[in-house]
Amino acid sequence: MASQNTAVSGKPVKTKKKDLNKTGYGYLFVAPFVIIFIIFCIYPVVRTLYLSFTDYPGYGNPIFNGIDNYIRVINDKFFWRDLWNTIKIWGVNIIVQLGLAFLLTIVFSDIKYKIRGLSIFRALFYLPNLIAATSVAFLFQTLLDWKYGTVNQLLGTSINWLGDVNVTPYVVSIIGAWMWFGNSFIMLMAGVQGISKEYYEAAAIDGAGRWKVFTKITLPLLKPILLYVSITSFIGGLQLFDVPFLMCGGTNGNPSGTTQTMVMYLYRFGFENNQVGYAAAIAYTIFIMILIVSIIQLKVLGSSNDGTPKKKRGGRK
Amino acid sequence: MKGKNTMRKLLAAVLAGTMIFSMAACGDTGEAPAADDGGDAAAESSTDDAQVSGKADASQKLVIWTMAADMQQFADKYVESHPDVAIEVVVTAPADYPTKVQNALRSGAKDPDVVCAEPQSIQTFIEAGFFEDLNQEPYNAQQYAENFVDYVWAAGQDSEGNQRCISYQITPSAIFYRRDIAEDVYGTSDPEVIGEKFATYDSILTTGQEMKEKGYRIFASTGELGFFAGNEPWIVDGTLNLSQSRMDQMNTAIELYTQDLTCYVDTWSTTWYQAMNGPIPLVGDEVDMWDQEAVDAAAAAAEGETEVFAFGLPSWGVLTLRDNAPDNSGKWGVCQGPTYTFSGGTFLGINPNSEDKDLAWDFITFCTTNEETLDWWIETSEGDVVSWIPSIEKHRDDENEYYGGQKLYELFLGLAEHIDYSNVTPMDTECNDLWNAAIGSIQRGEMTQEEAISNFYDQIESTYPDITVNRE
Repeated sequence: MASQNTAVSGKPVKTKKKDLNKTGYGYLFVAPFVIIFIIFCIYPVVRTLYLSFTDYPGYGNPIFNGIDNYIRVINDKFFWRDLWNTIKIWGVNIIVQLGLAFLLTIVFSDIKYKIRGLSIFRALFYLPNLIAATSVAFLFQTLLDWKYGTVNQLLGTSINWLGDVNVTPYVVSIIGAWMWFGNSFIMLMAGVQGISKEYYEAAAIDGAGRWKVFTKITLPLLKPILLYVSITSFIGGLQLFDVPFLMCGGTNGNPSGTTQTMVMYLYRFGFENNQVGYAAAIAYTIFIMILIVSIIQLKVLGSSNDGTPKKKRGGRK
Repeated sequence: MKGKNTMRKLLAAVLAGTMIFSMAACGDTGEAPAADDGGDAAAESSTDDAQVSGKADASQKLVIWTMAADMQQFADKYVESHPDVAIEVVVTAPADYPTKVQNALRSGAKDPDVVCAEPQSIQTFIEAGFFEDLNQEPYNAQQYAENFVDYVWAAGQDSEGNQRCISYQITPSAIFYRRDIAEDVYGTSDPEVIGEKFATYDSILTTGQEMKEKGYRIFASTGELGFFAGNEPWIVDGTLNLSQSRMDQMNTAIELYTQDLTCYVDTWSTTWYQAMNGPIPLVGDEVDMWDQEAVDAAAAAAEGETEVFAFGLPSWGVLTLRDNAPDNSGKWGVCQGPTYTFSGGTFLGINPNSEDKDLAWDFITFCTTNEETLDWWIETSEGDVVSWIPSIEKHRDDENEYYGGQKLYELFLGLAEHIDYSNVTPMDTECNDLWNAAIGSIQRGEMTQEEAISNFYDQIESTYPDITVNRE
């Protein structure tokens, strides 16, 4: 308390000359981060929440309209169509991505194969993840061109990869899988390497075959990792935007809106149609969905105590 | 102990200095480099999209934001006669431009001084208050009204009729056709006669069939028709107006596709540009376009090549063709299409927060009303069509050799005079996109025409809840 250091005259008394009060420095040191965090993270989040309850074209003053935007989202069949599109694209993506990663994990973790240069392969598999989505989109656009693309020329087919409602969404899925399988592979390999060798030695002594080892030891012990990979991937998948946006005619989601994802729908209103209030409501609806998935993730992963990596939000697709 | 503290302070000072230096380096916004020989025009700046014209030590500086690189040429021209001015022209990709302008001007930025806009973003910019009222003192823009082509003048006005921005161009849509092919098929390349072949959607279909019989294709893609979509507004009194002319456009696009009268090329694709300069692969003619496998097989077994007769483009297509089809110089002609419409054009307005509005206005009048500038631009661009009527009149009889000596200014002025700007609504871009998507889904056999139109209605309702949709 201040009175403890105050003499009768009211002037502060210097009790310890050399003892600096350092409590303020902590705030000073974290200030740059906190200020930037408030400006670029907290403020937009709060502002978006506010805008989601307004009619706001992006200029002038927002007009409060209650929960109208949320009612509109719920009744907007194209939003739900896009949710389904997103889940469909993610679903195929995760099956291919995990399948491929799993296959490679089995091959690379099997001591009988003794494959050398794991780190080189790991880097190679991870490389597609390092390429900018823009480059990936243009690369595949060129390769998959209906009439003049390399893929059709090699296969001797003329499949309209980017213009067929039954093909294009899955092409986007496969590209996503190609970009992310290296990441899953690294995660699964880490998981496999975390499994105690004793189990495998015991299985070998008991005469277990390769399939038995895989189904009875590797798979059950990898379950938490698999769950983690798929749930974080789902969270990232709900935010899918870049590749379909760049490859499938911007926010149109060609052909016939089959590749239009929820975030592309949001972008369409926020940046193309000047309906920022409605876009904000879509953003919060997506946020609530992700929140629910995250809570499930926390519950599921929180209940496992067998070396599961800690939760990491978003980012993965 | 003291020495240690001094070392710490020194180290802190060095680190802080390094940080400030690196931030300063990052923050280089492309100021004009120091002139070593007195400074000269058009010095490249350090940012990718910004170019500074004029001397580095100029007393006045003007900043222009635009999507079209044309402005750089105008800036270079301006500083020739205004040595005390430096102009920074920042060119941004069209997809990013509206967002960039909105972010800057919403926050009250003083730069840019001159804001450029395309017709589809003008109304948004005006409503957002991004343009100074040019009818007020000291601009008094209304004095120039009668010298501008009507639709361009109207396009730059707000809902109360105040002038907010002005364009130096007119951009009426026209049909650009190959004269040699016209001679082969019809025995004439006269624009009047060929214009009749494109006068209605029905005649376009007939022309397509006649072209196919002779081994040509009328268009590379059906997207060409998009430039002639509808003479009526999309929205009338808050209600969606799906007019007969839009339906005719849709039906023609579908017929052209299903009757195998085009090359199934996407507009703006590489092959589309190639079709301007020479033959491209021909898809087999007896193909059931509803059968994807048959289409695929036909495309794979492309049985030769074909030449494309025509391209539907606005007047800036004069330059597009010239730049992409050097081998066909002199073989092109231009005639009118089925409707009087326009697309694109660069409009110039003044940022209300600009600190040098007088200079900005001087630059705008230099680009739009100065006949000397416009003469120079007509000569430099080799065919861009200006909006200042006295200049068009002056060049009315100019013959463009690339287009077989045709008098293009006369033609485009005639087309522009028929354009009714009251047909344009702020929702047009979205409505057109959705309408073209509907046409595409019918062409590809993904939806029946009924389904596609119903889906179009759904999307309009979803995008604009305030607009009434009468489903017929």
